[in-house]
Amino acid sequence: MRFFMKSIGVFAVLAVVAAGISQVVAHHSASMFDVLRSEVLKGKLVELRWVNPHVTLTVKGTLKSGEAPAEWLIETTSPGNLTRVGGWQRDAVKPGELVEVVFHPLREPGKRLGLLRQLTTLSNGEVYATNIRDHERADLE
Amino acid sequence: MASAQAPKKAPTVINPPPSAQDWADLGKLPDWSGVWNPKISDQDAQVKTNPPPWNETAARKIQQMFAEEKAGRPRLIFSNCLPEAHPSWMLVTHNAMEVLFTPGRVTMLGESDGNRIRRIYADGRGHPEVSDPTFHGHSIGHWEGDTLVVDTVDIIPQAPLAISEAAGLPNNGDMHVIERIHLADKDILHDELEIIAPKILTKPWKTTRIFFRQRARKFDIVEGVCATGDLVERVNAEGDHIFVPVEKSEWGHTTAVPAK
Repeated sequence: MRFFMKSIGVFAVLAVVAAGISQVVAHHSASMFDVLRSEVLKGKLVELRWVNPHVTLTVKGTLKSGEAPAEWLIETTSPGNLTRVGGWQRDAVKPGELVEVVFHPLREPGKRLGLLRQLTTLSNGEVYATNIRDHERADLE
Repeated sequence: MASAQAPKKAPTVINPPPSAQDWADLGKLPDWSGVWNPKISDQDAQVKTNPPPWNETAARKIQQMFAEEKAGRPRLIFSNCLPEAHPSWMLVTHNAMEVLFTPGRVTMLGESDGNRIRRIYADGRGHPEVSDPTFHGHSIGHWEGDTLVVDTVDIIPQAPLAISEAAGLPNNGDMHVIERIHLADKDILHDELEIIAPKILTKPWKTTRIFFRQRARKFDIVEGVCATGDLVERVNAEGDHIFVPVEKSEWGHTTAVPAK
């Protein structure tokens, strides 16, 4: 056991050094986002990162017309959960597609980060929801 | 070279080959097939309605965690993508699982972590005489009618007893979990847990976790590898497909993804 824990510790340190980040992480609470506030971002999808435990979207766009477009990083739940919410898949939204993103901004001001509430592809009006709690029934089709 | 040899002892077979009858008997068990999803809203509700009986020290730490989460600085209970471990996987997961029956064994497979698996030995064996703690502990089960009764010991002391993704504490050793798992309705599975964690609780904690399945939906469990959350797919200068680290905050969310 002692050797095992030591190994984990060494692995964690190596991973941190390699990644240049504070720590490697896993499932986490979303309370760093202000769920009482919503913003609407319009722009082009740069990348949909289809990974566990949290999918991310990079969108280059604006909150207000006339602004210079900037890249926003928006996080959401896992691929499995998005699939079960409905409509989502790895290539549901493609780079370059025009999208409207409703998101909860980070509480810390000045950073272009958010928690995804809903995404709409503007070419066809397709809406992609994210709340798995809305699907907690045994008889859903 | 001739030497006196001690008579050979017959080896103990812990996994005897199943008979045709053993396989046929599986058909008498309740139908737990399909994909089971956790009722997260009930997990959320029980944070307030059914808190564990934390001891004084643990309660103080949990209150600090609640305060930090409320302030937008949620503590990481699960880090390094280590398994959520037993019983936290059953308590707070947001992801699906499936349950497999084979002769003498019930196996639970979780979706979100590549390393999330529970092996429940239902072949009449006891717990091992020598403790070798693991994330999911050593589980033995038996059927009482259509209810699977599971007894789990030998869980590592670092395994958290978590009530949310931002509130939970290492069990610190000697944790014992007893479960009664059964269908509460056609497509509703209940896991009634009794958690004995003497280092952090004042008495056993009882809670029921609810899972549901959606027969009409064609969504299988997908492979989920937690560590990929810290990485992004890229192609390097030599044309090889590789993973590159993203940046994360101390609270766990992604803060920057390297450009392509």
